[in-house]
Amino acid sequence: MSHPQRTGVIREYDMHSPSVRAGYGVILFLCGIMVVIALFPLVWVILAGFKDLKEFVSSTSILPRSFDIQTFVTTWNQLGIAKNYLNSFISVAGSVVCALIFNGLLGYGLGILKPKGYGVVKKLVMLSLLMPTTISIVPLFMNIQKLGLGNSFLPLWLSYGANAMYVILFVQFFESLPSSIIEASRIDGCSQLQIFFRIVLPLSKPICSVVAIFAINAAWSDFLLPYLVLRGGELQTVMVRLFVFSTEQTVNADAMMRSVVFSMIPPIILFFIFQKQLTENSVSVGIKG
Amino acid sequence: MDGKSTRARRRGKTGENIKSWLIMLPGLLLMTFFVWEPLFESIRMSLYKTRNVELVRYIGLDNFISVMSKDDFLQALTNTFTYTFWSLLIGFGLPILLALLIGETRRGKGFFRTAAYLPNMLPGLAVIILWSAFFSGEKSGVLNILLGRLGVPPQSYLTNYRLVIPIIIVIATWKGAGATALIYMAGMSGINAELYEAAAIDGATVWQRVVHILLPAIRKLAGTLLILQIISVFQIMYEPMVLTKGGPDNASLSLMQLMWQYAFGGSMNYGKASAVAVIVTVILLLMTAVYSYFNRKESDWD
Repeated sequence: MSHPQRTGVIREYDMHSPSVRAGYGVILFLCGIMVVIALFPLVWVILAGFKDLKEFVSSTSILPRSFDIQTFVTTWNQLGIAKNYLNSFISVAGSVVCALIFNGLLGYGLGILKPKGYGVVKKLVMLSLLMPTTISIVPLFMNIQKLGLGNSFLPLWLSYGANAMYVILFVQFFESLPSSIIEASRIDGCSQLQIFFRIVLPLSKPICSVVAIFAINAAWSDFLLPYLVLRGGELQTVMVRLFVFSTEQTVNADAMMRSVVFSMIPPIILFFIFQKQLTENSVSVGIKG
Repeated sequence: MDGKSTRARRRGKTGENIKSWLIMLPGLLLMTFFVWEPLFESIRMSLYKTRNVELVRYIGLDNFISVMSKDDFLQALTNTFTYTFWSLLIGFGLPILLALLIGETRRGKGFFRTAAYLPNMLPGLAVIILWSAFFSGEKSGVLNILLGRLGVPPQSYLTNYRLVIPIIIVIATWKGAGATALIYMAGMSGINAELYEAAAIDGATVWQRVVHILLPAIRKLAGTLLILQIISVFQIMYEPMVLTKGGPDNASLSLMQLMWQYAFGGSMNYGKASAVAVIVTVILLLMTAVYSYFNRKESDWD
């Protein structure tokens, strides 16, 4: 990925020209504006969280009157968000495990084992990439109901084991592994599953971390299928709660903004931990995908 | 050749094949249950009269006729194309521009990349609710506060039927443009810098290098991202659902939202909902076919 030479259209000697230097100033200025536009709404919603209802609906000031963290604590306790957080964590954990195991094994089959007839499956998976799941959410929900899996995390977990994009990411990565290593261990008498767990997986940390980050974020943010499966029950996740608030309008506007902040905290933490993977690795992955 | 060992090897090969399929089986079962079967089921259901989760009887194309003869269908269809139009106008060029700008910075590139990507990590639902306060028509709405400083009187943005779709697209672009820009940046960083050097020696200005070297190099990537953008904006659903409930007066109602309303909006008419889903699927397939027709020479799969 990294070039020893500087990339970019503007070369070193261009910077001697005053007009290019001025143009570079404009570029930096525009990038600065981009940063403000990207971050301002986020800063604003946190500031708004400090306002009480009266202040939120009537104040024409961006800054709140006071920065009392108690407003957040009160809403957290009143709405019982802790329980939704716990549910979300359980939902996310199972989803990531399923995303790695099932898509990984399918990717192993399509990318390395390649048994007779695998091409058809690979084409089907490619096609599914273009037909995202929302389109068939109605029959999927009916199937889940028929199996009596409503109000349970199980269908949500397993749904992450059937993600065409993750399968293709795995296939592409596995195809890039040197086949000599796999061939050698096959000659040594390793079974196919042994090769997967002893040879392939340890070599696949980069792709596993990318898929895991994607899956964590997707599972945390997901609310349509979770809403249908978990609504009304005790297992509602943070996003399902937020969706219910927004459709039924049972929550005041100020508490709503604080709930939005609550729902954003884990993804933001995840982002700052894995920034480098996200802005570098996942991109080089995305360009192939 | 020794016949026996060939047969043994072939049997070994068959055994390997069976084991390989067994390893793939769990994944295949899940793909079938969650992706493939529901797709076929929605086609079948669209041809049936349904009551709750039961298929009552086969009624041919009645669901389609009934869905398409309602005013809200034509409105949703036009709206969905309007979404696509605005999405291309606002959201297609911006990531390329951002990638170009960030790619040229000599310091702080990492910071700019991080800032650009951050909105993409936020939950889509939270983003929509956040922006609904932003565009609120009250005088405490953020945009009204900001424009108020410039002397613009408070306005109601989300109830303006001409503004509502562009506003939803602006929000979606805010969330997604940075992440797309990073994909373009990766594409641009693959361009050999010697090309720029050589062009510069030949007297090409910075702008000429952008137009004649950089843009042609990302043309194919832009084509792929274009079709992916169209496919994704065509399924826009929860954004108008949460932000405007499809209003004012169905002005932001999308096709997928119409499907959701038939299924889960109280009437539980899964047959009609499936008919809408099938219509969307057919339109998406047509668009994909047109795309792959124009792109057939540059297939990078198989």
